[in-house]
Amino acid sequence: MRRQGDTAKRRRKGEAAKLEMTPMIDVVFQLLIFFIVTLKQEDILSHLDVSRPAPDPNAVPEKQVEDLLNITVYEDGYVLNGRPVALPELDRHLTRLASFSKSISVIIRCTADSPHSLLVQLLDICAKAGLQNLAVFSL
Amino acid sequence: MPRREPSEGCEINMTPMIDVVFQLIIFFIVTIQMEKEFNPEIELEDSRHGPIVEGEQDPRTIEIEIDRRGWISIHNAQLSRARLREIMKARFDKYGSFPVLIRADRRTRHRDVRSVMDVCTETGIWRINFLAVYERRAEERTR
Repeated sequence: MRRQGDTAKRRRKGEAAKLEMTPMIDVVFQLLIFFIVTLKQEDILSHLDVSRPAPDPNAVPEKQVEDLLNITVYEDGYVLNGRPVALPELDRHLTRLASFSKSISVIIRCTADSPHSLLVQLLDICAKAGLQNLAVFSL
Repeated sequence: MPRREPSEGCEINMTPMIDVVFQLIIFFIVTIQMEKEFNPEIELEDSRHGPIVEGEQDPRTIEIEIDRRGWISIHNAQLSRARLREIMKARFDKYGSFPVLIRADRRTRHRDVRSVMDVCTETGIWRINFLAVYERRAEERTR
């Protein structure tokens, strides 16, 4: 009874009713920390476009175009027009060729056991050189 | 200088801080994604020179995931090659040609990537995009 009387007296004196802030702030900070911790930034992705010719071997144009670059991807490396090459060397070749013409057809053949990473690295340097005309075959 | 009453305590104005904190919380609630939209086991290869995937994509785009064992999934839901073929066929009948993104692990053998590409060509899609990482922002995983 005494307490009630006290509050009533205080109210009457014009003092604002006080909201208990501490628990709310505690909860809100907990939530904030939870969200900050669980926030994960996504990687920025790039896409590498290729054309996939028909699996039907009759539909493949063999030696039809003159400007043709044959690259084969093996399990452990690349072969350019019959010669094994490392990626930096291939990079130089492609950059030089692309300086003449960006529309050269690049034919990439992949063996069944080659890892996908080698193909992506090759497509990356093709994108760096600006070559657009890429076809991926499977051996 | 008037002395403070000991029971009164030091009062700071809480209102602006609470405003800011609520703003932050609402931001995080809105941006949080609880469920992964893709198979988190897949490690992509880096590609610093490819064109960046923009936020706004063609809504018809389909993203096919291939993990390092060659298992195929879409939105982290595993499916068989026959089921993938059905999905592609249905989508092709509905929309015509549509963009295909392949999210293949860097260790995937080409034969598994090939099987998915063959499904695409059977459906009638000749353009295929491989996803790679342009810039890593998530925490580095040990390779």
